[in-house]
Amino acid sequence: MSRFIAASTARGARQVIDKADNMLKGALDSLGPDAPVEFKDRSGGPTAYYLPVIYGYLGHKVEKVGDLQYPLDRAKSLLAPEPDENMWLPYLGETLDAGVGTLWAEEIIKGIEFAQGKQPEAKGDFQFNGPIDDGQLRSWGIAMVDGSMPGFAVVIGEAPSNQAAVRIVRELQARGQLVFLSGNVNGRSVVDQLLEEGVDLGYPTYTVSFGSDTESTVYATGYATRAAFSFGNVTPGDWRRVLLYNKFRCFAFALVLGPMDDVKWATGAGAIDYGFPAIANTMVPHILPTGVTRYEDVISEPWDDIPGDTNEKAKRLIDKCIEVRGIKVTIPQPELPVTYGPAFEGEVIRRRDMQVEFGSKSGPGVELLEMKDTDAVEDGKCEVVGPDIDEIDFGNNPNTYFACKIDVAGRAMRDEFEPVLERQLHNLSNEVEGYQHQGQREITWIRVSKKAYEAGLRLKHMGDVFHTTFHNQFGSIVDKIQTTFYTNQEDVEKIMEYARDKYRERDERIGGLKDESVDTFYSCTLCQSFAPTHVCVINPERPGLCGAYTWLDCRAAYEINPRGPNQPVEKGKCLDEAKGEFEGVNQFVYDNSQRTVERMTLYSLMDAPMTTCGCCECNMVLIPEANGIMIVSREDFGETPCGMKFTTLMGQIGGGQQSPGMMGHGKRFVLSEKFISAEGGLRRVVWMSKPLKEELKDDLQQRCEAIGEPDLMDKIADGDICTTVEDLVPFLEEKGHPALSMESMI
Amino acid sequence: MLDSIKFKLEVVVPEVEIPKEKWTGRVREVKIGGKGRKEVVVGGATAMPFLDFEGEIPNPPRVAVEVRDDPSGFPPGLLSSWGDDVVNDVGSWAKKAAELGAEIITLRLTSAHPEGQNTGVEEAKSAVDKVLSAVDLPLMVIGPEIADKDNEILVPIADLAEGQRIVLGNCVENNYKTIAAACIAANHIAIAKTPLDINLAKQLNVQVSDIGVPLESILMDADMGALGYGIEYAISIDERLKLAALMGDSVTAVPIINHPGPETWRQKEAKVSEGVPESWGGYDERALYWEELSATSIIHSGADVVTLCHPKAVEYIKSMIAKLMGQ
Repeated sequence: MSRFIAASTARGARQVIDKADNMLKGALDSLGPDAPVEFKDRSGGPTAYYLPVIYGYLGHKVEKVGDLQYPLDRAKSLLAPEPDENMWLPYLGETLDAGVGTLWAEEIIKGIEFAQGKQPEAKGDFQFNGPIDDGQLRSWGIAMVDGSMPGFAVVIGEAPSNQAAVRIVRELQARGQLVFLSGNVNGRSVVDQLLEEGVDLGYPTYTVSFGSDTESTVYATGYATRAAFSFGNVTPGDWRRVLLYNKFRCFAFALVLGPMDDVKWATGAGAIDYGFPAIANTMVPHILPTGVTRYEDVISEPWDDIPGDTNEKAKRLIDKCIEVRGIKVTIPQPELPVTYGPAFEGEVIRRRDMQVEFGSKSGPGVELLEMKDTDAVEDGKCEVVGPDIDEIDFGNNPNTYFACKIDVAGRAMRDEFEPVLERQLHNLSNEVEGYQHQGQREITWIRVSKKAYEAGLRLKHMGDVFHTTFHNQFGSIVDKIQTTFYTNQEDVEKIMEYARDKYRERDERIGGLKDESVDTFYSCTLCQSFAPTHVCVINPERPGLCGAYTWLDCRAAYEINPRGPNQPVEKGKCLDEAKGEFEGVNQFVYDNSQRTVERMTLYSLMDAPMTTCGCCECNMVLIPEANGIMIVSREDFGETPCGMKFTTLMGQIGGGQQSPGMMGHGKRFVLSEKFISAEGGLRRVVWMSKPLKEELKDDLQQRCEAIGEPDLMDKIADGDICTTVEDLVPFLEEKGHPALSMESMI
Repeated sequence: MLDSIKFKLEVVVPEVEIPKEKWTGRVREVKIGGKGRKEVVVGGATAMPFLDFEGEIPNPPRVAVEVRDDPSGFPPGLLSSWGDDVVNDVGSWAKKAAELGAEIITLRLTSAHPEGQNTGVEEAKSAVDKVLSAVDLPLMVIGPEIADKDNEILVPIADLAEGQRIVLGNCVENNYKTIAAACIAANHIAIAKTPLDINLAKQLNVQVSDIGVPLESILMDADMGALGYGIEYAISIDERLKLAALMGDSVTAVPIINHPGPETWRQKEAKVSEGVPESWGGYDERALYWEELSATSIIHSGADVVTLCHPKAVEYIKSMIAKLMGQ
């Protein structure tokens, strides 16, 4: 962090503490130690928790002037010398401590002013509000806890113009932030500016004027502390939890307008302790390291450097504040000309009912979601380059071009989440009435119904849908999203080419991910509603047995919903490398299977295999006579060499059981290097459902070559060749299947 | 011949050891009421219902009785069992329920339903006020179960009854934050309700406690259907929740609440007296049996609080609980 800020904070803290010291001496003389000290708002509304910052930190109740001596002495003890010009010792801790001392001293000053009858402050005809009363805190607190009001913004100082002051406050209100006002620049403040512009201040308009000095900013941290008492079950004196509650639950920040001074820096340091960052509209040093606050501590966003007119500047400045504090704003559903909801997900639009078709036989269709820098994305923007639905004469010219390009930015966004989010487009689009989405990537296929078209649905509406749904459902990783549709040949061809490169990169990335290269697997307990003892453990080289979840999907799902069914599973100590048995996995599975499954290996069919729920894509079953295994997939309704059809098998092994020799799995697990590697892998496969064999044909051939068995595919039987063990074994002998000469499986 | 042979019959009774489960977990105790109001403790068990040889059952299942500020949704057969003068005033209704042995009053604010009378905050507060002043029993208040409306009326009610540890519901997956926040601010108990899914039940407990409601202030309602309307699902879910709690899972170790009464009285068997097969029997008995059987089943699966509707069901279920508790 900046030595400049550290030095300024140290000076500011000393200045405020000296002032408090002098005032206390005076008050003890003039009022005596028994004069009562109590915070109230301008209409006499009571506040709870004494002087709340002091009470929160020290558990010390201040009820009268004499009670102020102890916190003042403690504040003095937190003062450290200014950092040396030449010898730069670590000073972040000292700076934060100085901030704490400053807040206590400020509360002492305000406490004495209350005892003297000088608070809440009056300036001319205007009566400042002072601290927020208890009833108001409760009702705002509920809005804060339920997320409808994320937090508060303390606006300190004077805006560059009256108009700027109004715009800044309006932008904050539009995002549901409470606005607290304090401080001044050469005697003028935002409060003066707002009053001159006829803006109503007070509880009903969510704008509260604390006072005209910087010291009154302490009412904001007092409010935050009281919120932690009321809503965080924090006990007075448990300062650590007071601060953590506010860091994680109260989305507050300080916006300093106009030049900084020592006292502002010192007060700001106190706010940082609460996890509240400061954004200045002037050129000041940054404090970029994160940890105390969620992201940066101090950010400088000089007003003159922000592009645009006053309105635009105000919007961008507040955008920055919202981003730095990590505030997620819930966006209301946009007005669509058609209905939106899961009921339309499976809607099929027939050729005769459609207004326009993109993709499939009508031309190229592609969709691509990419991560961008936050400055490169304009949130909520949706553009259609080329003709929109109403400008396409599909009846006369059924050749269309379609590319949907989505750019997202987010603090927690990672490029690995791109495919996960991109796949959401399918569900999100399909929930729009009269909009049918099939396929993905470069085989995107879309139909829009005549009815939806007549109701007014256009491509640009889809951008609104993506904007709101991504924010509301994936807000934990997406901060900004913009959509561009291209419907002209030249652009679509360009994007198609670009997208193909991206897809290739992505495939290589997940393809290159090995179990050994990560130390965390993920669980999936989604199926526990009907298989209560089943736990899927999903590793990079083994998808969930339903085939729907890969390791990356689970990781993204965990980021999106940390309380959901996909939880990280620490691998822990490896107990058996060949079988893939890990201490961490065993522990997790035991704890989460109602203490039923004690061990679970990841690469073995014979020793403690994974349990099977009810939705596996395939089942593998040991065929002792062939010294190998057969794999039957869900689409195969026929008989199999083990004597059971797929459904009968499911009855045997489903429901969360662990059955050595039988196991459910996903289709693509067959292609994994870890596919029952403990028993010899692909070489053990002696029979496979015909549809599965066809579906995986090319990939399987590649795997066979990779393991040095290029003609293995011909040696694996299927339903067309035989469905009994009696016929299977002679077939394998005739073909010389490698399983016959391998070590016995039993 | 036979007479001359003397048998000495000796019956050897083998030592039979009754298999006992050993549990490690304990369901949390939740205290409802206080601040001048009677206090009722629910939960606390370290064994499955009534199996006191396997653990402790410090508190019996509690019987709550439902009163409504708009009784029109209840069938006439049920209303007449209370008397018309009683059901048109929630205060008198609650008072009579208390006399009949209710341990908790469940006030369902049916009049606030947007498709019904759509009454507002003032009517809701007045209904709560009436019940609070009519009886000294602990109170449970359930909104019309329409998210926005629940949030609108339950927050002021939480304020009104501050500190009296009333039970407020329902927190559901997509609408729990406001009610939970109101419970935190005024020290009340939240009902976390999920639709017959053990994972969701657990997840919602986590979410509600995550926002700041202590687990000691949560009751979970895993939902139920009446007899013949999916009660077997509810039995299985309740039982598994309770087993999970006893096996040491901290998050599911909160008391379970079910509403067999209102669930019964919205089904045909408890509503229709004419035009049904003769084998269904007389209406009065049938409807009552339906409620009693639904309640009995769900209590045996792990419910710690049940809401009932019919005066005779209250009497019967209370006596059943007393006998099974060995009282």
